[in-house]
Amino acid sequence: MNFSGEPSTTAMSGMANGADASLAARLAARDPVALREAIASHATALHRVAYRMTGDAHEAEDIVQEAMLRLWDHAPNIAARHPVGSQAAGALRLGGWLQRVVTNLAIDRLRRARRLSDGEVPDSEDDAPLADALIEAGERDRSARALIAALPERQRAAIVLTYYEELSNAAAAETLDMNIKAFESLLLRARTALRHAYAARAEGGAL
Amino acid sequence: MSVDDIIPGSPLARALDDYPVPGFSAGFADRVLTAAENRAAPLPELRRKSVGGGGGRGWRMGRRIMIGAACFGALATAAAATGVLERFDIAVPSPEKVWASLTGKETPVAAAPIISKPAEPASAAFAPVVIEGPIDTPEELSEAFRRIDEVREGRNAVRRQVIDQRIDRAIERRRAAGLPVPTAEEEAALRQRIDEAQALRQQRADERIKARREELSRKVENGEALTSNDIAGSRQLDPTTAARRERLRELRQMTPQERREAFQALPPEQRRALAEEFRVRRGAAGAPAPDPAPEPTPDEPPAQPQS
Repeated sequence: MNFSGEPSTTAMSGMANGADASLAARLAARDPVALREAIASHATALHRVAYRMTGDAHEAEDIVQEAMLRLWDHAPNIAARHPVGSQAAGALRLGGWLQRVVTNLAIDRLRRARRLSDGEVPDSEDDAPLADALIEAGERDRSARALIAALPERQRAAIVLTYYEELSNAAAAETLDMNIKAFESLLLRARTALRHAYAARAEGGAL
Repeated sequence: MSVDDIIPGSPLARALDDYPVPGFSAGFADRVLTAAENRAAPLPELRRKSVGGGGGRGWRMGRRIMIGAACFGALATAAAATGVLERFDIAVPSPEKVWASLTGKETPVAAAPIISKPAEPASAAFAPVVIEGPIDTPEELSEAFRRIDEVREGRNAVRRQVIDQRIDRAIERRRAAGLPVPTAEEEAALRQRIDEAQALRQQRADERIKARREELSRKVENGEALTSNDIAGSRQLDPTTAARRERLRELRQMTPQERREAFQALPPEQRRALAEEFRVRRGAAGAPAPDPAPEPTPDEPPAQPQS
């Protein structure tokens, strides 16, 4: 269902099976190669989430970088709780952990931006080069971004995680630290708001 | 897929799908690695995390409860030690009672209290000498005098002991209340004055007793038989007073409960007279230097020879 067939986080979670535990152990040992491997494995998916949440390529890169650095900081604790070869090591899923961190960081930054801009998320074109490239991608791209950006932060996260990243409701609820009923309610509201926004833009001739 | 799902191929889905994500800028991984190497070590955790989640909170609460209990115990101990609780009439059990309540065993007989009545050595020997029957020989009279003197000496010793203890207690009370107490010299002078007064009183009593005994001896030598009334002297009690005293003596031998019942069973006039006598005796007991025991002069108890 994804628009470009990018690897979903669900698929990425299958990479665990103890491999994440050994990676965490190497990170805890301050192995730079391990950090590079973690970036190669998870950064792309994390960047997708961060970009679609914020709509800003620079902001998304900052969020992913902060998430990877937090993984670097917390690696000793994670490795201690999931020693290699133990049963807990098989349950470790760094992708889910990182996705949770990225989602929370994105929500925090959106809230901070809303406070600084008096409640409005900027809906203008980015001046950064990558933003310029996106602007050039076409009018429909801007429409999709505007639809997502019009949602409140948590509703935006619910749509990004379930529609774009194809997470199950349970996995998305876990990422947002919600129970499943509350998440389903949130997702219903998000979809309803999305439909209303789309209908309003269609009536206004923006689409 | 529920009815609320965004249907693939719908206009909304097509609009959402046209949201491409740009790639990372060049050197992203290198920048992260450089930042990781230059990143300061994370701060240590402020509080040790508990394994069970809520265990830490429970331990913190338990520790606070323990600290509170220890503080309360210390305050209660200090209050008991300084006598604050006694001012509020709160009984503080002794450690022996507490231990007995915990173990369920009987407490051993408590040691002698700090302030106790003077021990009466051979109290049976100091009981009033009861003489029954006539005394008609000098030997019987001498024996009666000898026994009366024994009792008298014993009671004098008890009286001196009581006086000493009262002086000590008075000084201790003044010291506990923070009042000035007599110095050793003043205390010695006080005791000396009391001894002198006692000696003078004793001397006068001895003179009276000596004269009385000489008179009684002459009567016996003349062949008269002495009765208890003769030894008791001319101070004869009227029948009412004697009956009242006898009644009092009986009341003293009763338990408090029996005494109350007996007192209530008396006729009103007799009850009033007894109450008046009690009041007089209480007033006399509150006097500065009461006599702990009556002087066993020969004219007090009826005499009883051992013949």
